[in-house]
Amino acid sequence: MWNYERRLQFPVNIKEPNAKLAQVIISQFGGPDGELAASQRYLSQRYATPYREVAGILTDIGTEELAHMEMVSAIVHQLTRNLSMEEIEKSGFNKYYVDHTLGLWPQAAGGVPFNACFFQSKGDVITDLFEDMAADATTTKEQPTISRSQKPLI
Amino acid sequence: MQDYSFDEYFERFSLAMAYVPWQHLTTIYENLEEAYKRGTIFPELDKPFTGRRCVE
Amino acid sequence: MRQIQGNEHSRMLKDIGIISFVLVELTQYLDTHPYDKQAMEYFNHYARIEKQMKQEFASRYYPLNAALSQDQKEWNWALAPMPWEGGC
Repeated sequence: MWNYERRLQFPVNIKEPNAKLAQVIISQFGGPDGELAASQRYLSQRYATPYREVAGILTDIGTEELAHMEMVSAIVHQLTRNLSMEEIEKSGFNKYYVDHTLGLWPQAAGGVPFNACFFQSKGDVITDLFEDMAADATTTKEQPTISRSQKPLI
Repeated sequence: MQDYSFDEYFERFSLAMAYVPWQHLTTIYENLEEAYKRGTIFPELDKPFTGRRCVE
Repeated sequence: MRQIQGNEHSRMLKDIGIISFVLVELTQYLDTHPYDKQAMEYFNHYARIEKQMKQEFASRYYPLNAALSQDQKEWNWALAPMPWEGGC
């Protein structure tokens, strides 16, 4: 495996930093329904499928999720650039900042570190595909939930 | 209580199982830039999240 | 490495982004429909175009894949901007 392309799948160009938003969006990076979890889920599940088509699509989607992870990381990075200490404290971002400053560390918005309990790889193709459908549905739910909860700040 | 008998193929599908229909290629969006923005090149998969009902 | 002048660089990157996305979609469809002739034709057509676009981008600015690095005086792969710096 392994090829890297030096461009984001979709452009990310954030003009104004926003530490409050970053704290929520970080869940799409290192949280249970985030892109890192998605990629590890699919890439782990592909070994046990008896069908080559399924292994193929799990491989391609699993690696695509890494590209998505890069985009979300770029978002968090751009939202936390050039913050003043006052903004860091006022927004509550100081709790993350104390351990990571402006580094990207995969965790959920609530602080739970990224871990393999966020996904399952059962070794049974039907079970695994249902896990994937549930995961995809949670992502579809999470993104509008994020934008709804952040409305006044955007 | 709603009536859940959708159509005549209902009996062919066994209870206690979930089904996912196969996608068939019909067309792809002609305007590729628009497809890029909508997140899919397949019109039948273009289902924006509305927060409430299913988009058919 | 040639100085990156905003507009043309962004436009080329955007076009590459669009066509690569089309290929990703077709790839995933073909993964589960490997014998679909129509999809295969679409894929072959756009793959040719994408290859050309990436080679042209590499010769003008910097390679998007390390494998596209050729005929260079400096190691543009490392000198190129990082994707998270903004502007793709």
